[in-house]
Amino acid sequence: MAVVNGARVAAEIEIAALGKVFGQGEAAFHALKNINLKIATGEFFTLLGPSGCGKTTLLRVIAGFEQPSTGALAINGRQVAGQGPNKRPVNTVFQSYALFPHMTVAQNIGFGLKMLGKPRSEIDATVAEMLRLVRMEALAERRPSEISGGQQQRVALARALAPRPRVLLLDEPLSALDLKLRKEMQGELKRLQTETGITFVFVTHDQEEALTMSDRIAVMSAGRILQLGSPDEIYNAPVDRFVADFIGETNFLTLPVAGVSGDQAHLDLPGGTSAPARLPAGLAAAPGSSVTAVIRPEQAEIAPAEGADLTAEVESATFFGTDTHLHLRLSDGQPFILRRQNRPGQPPIAPGTRLGLVLAPGALQVLRD
Amino acid sequence: MSERGAFSVTRIPGFGLIAITTFVLLYLPIVILVIFSFNEGLSQSVWEGFSLRWYEAAFANRQVRDVSIRSLWLAGVAAGLATVLATLAVLGTTRVGRFRGQTMIYALINQPLMVPEIVTGIALLIFVASIKVQTGYTGMGYLVAAHTAFCIPFAYLPIRARLETLDPALEMAAADLYASPVQAFRHITLPLMVPGILAGFMLGFVISLDTVVITEFVKSAGQDTLPTYMLGQLRRTITPEMNAIATLFLLLSLVIVTAFFLITRTRGR
Repeated sequence: MAVVNGARVAAEIEIAALGKVFGQGEAAFHALKNINLKIATGEFFTLLGPSGCGKTTLLRVIAGFEQPSTGALAINGRQVAGQGPNKRPVNTVFQSYALFPHMTVAQNIGFGLKMLGKPRSEIDATVAEMLRLVRMEALAERRPSEISGGQQQRVALARALAPRPRVLLLDEPLSALDLKLRKEMQGELKRLQTETGITFVFVTHDQEEALTMSDRIAVMSAGRILQLGSPDEIYNAPVDRFVADFIGETNFLTLPVAGVSGDQAHLDLPGGTSAPARLPAGLAAAPGSSVTAVIRPEQAEIAPAEGADLTAEVESATFFGTDTHLHLRLSDGQPFILRRQNRPGQPPIAPGTRLGLVLAPGALQVLRD
Repeated sequence: MSERGAFSVTRIPGFGLIAITTFVLLYLPIVILVIFSFNEGLSQSVWEGFSLRWYEAAFANRQVRDVSIRSLWLAGVAAGLATVLATLAVLGTTRVGRFRGQTMIYALINQPLMVPEIVTGIALLIFVASIKVQTGYTGMGYLVAAHTAFCIPFAYLPIRARLETLDPALEMAAADLYASPVQAFRHITLPLMVPGILAGFMLGFVISLDTVVITEFVKSAGQDTLPTYMLGQLRRTITPEMNAIATLFLLLSLVIVTAFFLITRTRGR
């Protein structure tokens, strides 16, 4: 069983204490370190991290292109460590698509079923269904070199979905597409996942892509999973400095602890007030010590300086269309970025202006470091 | 402002002259050879009018026909064997991880490109002579073996170039789509290698067709190929019949080399 966003559901993939080492002795490189992960059936699960964080290696281990050095890997309740990729009920959409250049679109899509020894009639029916699913019926007899990048992407998806795998692995499948097409394919992927009900494991370095598409996200760095949670948790309650910094823009404040009650700490703010902040599980913050807390730029509002949580001076302002980023210096010298929604007729704020800020309730999150 | 373009060889003084001289030296002798194959008379230097009589003579010459057939047969068999061996060698040296002595293996496979042909020829002469004495066998086997070995690197190089341009993800995708290693090879790797294999075969074929030295040292009596026959004839008198044979030979080589280029150019498809 896997616990997904509070609910208990059947686990499609179970990874326990999994490690992957390349090379030996002095030159050994630990690509994956003690990965523990349960991915639920029908989940859209994302591995997010910068290049070299181990996310693609983890995907390759699940696919069977790499074997784990240590630990266990089960798919649909069966141990698969040691099995080759052709023995696993898992299909991959490759970053380069890897369409077979000497075969037509239809032959590409039918390849998996052909290798499984399915009868001709079943292959034809499934290929037709897949072509319809990815809206490529008109191009069935084309070669991959004769269709566009976005169309190749759809064929790669259809080819991987045709054998109806338990799990679909997607290795940065949208990275080669331009922005407009990428947005379109994000919606398309979500639709395909909902329609087929297949578990998707999606690898990306694009945090926005991860936030918009996923049921859950695992943020990875240096071969470890730093945080695992829903997009909302990852964005609003990062427990790790790397996670907070990697996802979106955020403010890091060093603040003294006034008191602790349960999983909440009360932090003294420079303005003289105090505010509650969530503590990461297992972190004991002693009153009187200092902790690092994060708050997103949109979770503070301008208020009269009298009675405000923070007071600050505006150093510069950057216009972003829908909003303006105000770069502030707090009264205790720490920098702070404030995102202010742009509205018609709203007077601009000039550098040098002194402001008061109030923080949205529950906006502060203490980091583990 | 001074011009700060990249270095260009075309701006060296005399570039045009050097280029033209080079092309003249490359092609003028061949052009002359071809022209005089159509000469009415016996002369190689005085034009006496257009005629196809030397071509008729060449086609009527039974010996020319025999050595031509032997040459084509030998080139086909040797290039075919060399292509099979080279394909296996390519698969053994590029679709496996890096291994100790890999560069050494490349060098060993390419022996005929490094060892002077005359050295190989003399070595083969001595080697083959001793086997002939021991076994009494004097058939075409020696020539086939010698030509096959000589053709391997010429077949190996284009096949390897082709395999190295293949995205390894294609084989991974095949495995991912439930193909066993043998199925992945048969359905994906091998079909995609075909242009390289054809190119390798054709290069090997032309090389076998052209080689004089190896054949000269290995052949037994009555095993002349077209080049060794022509060489033998030149020791006597040179008639324009030789020009005609040479021109036809040239034409055959050009056709094969052109086919080679067309095949390698469409490799991306």
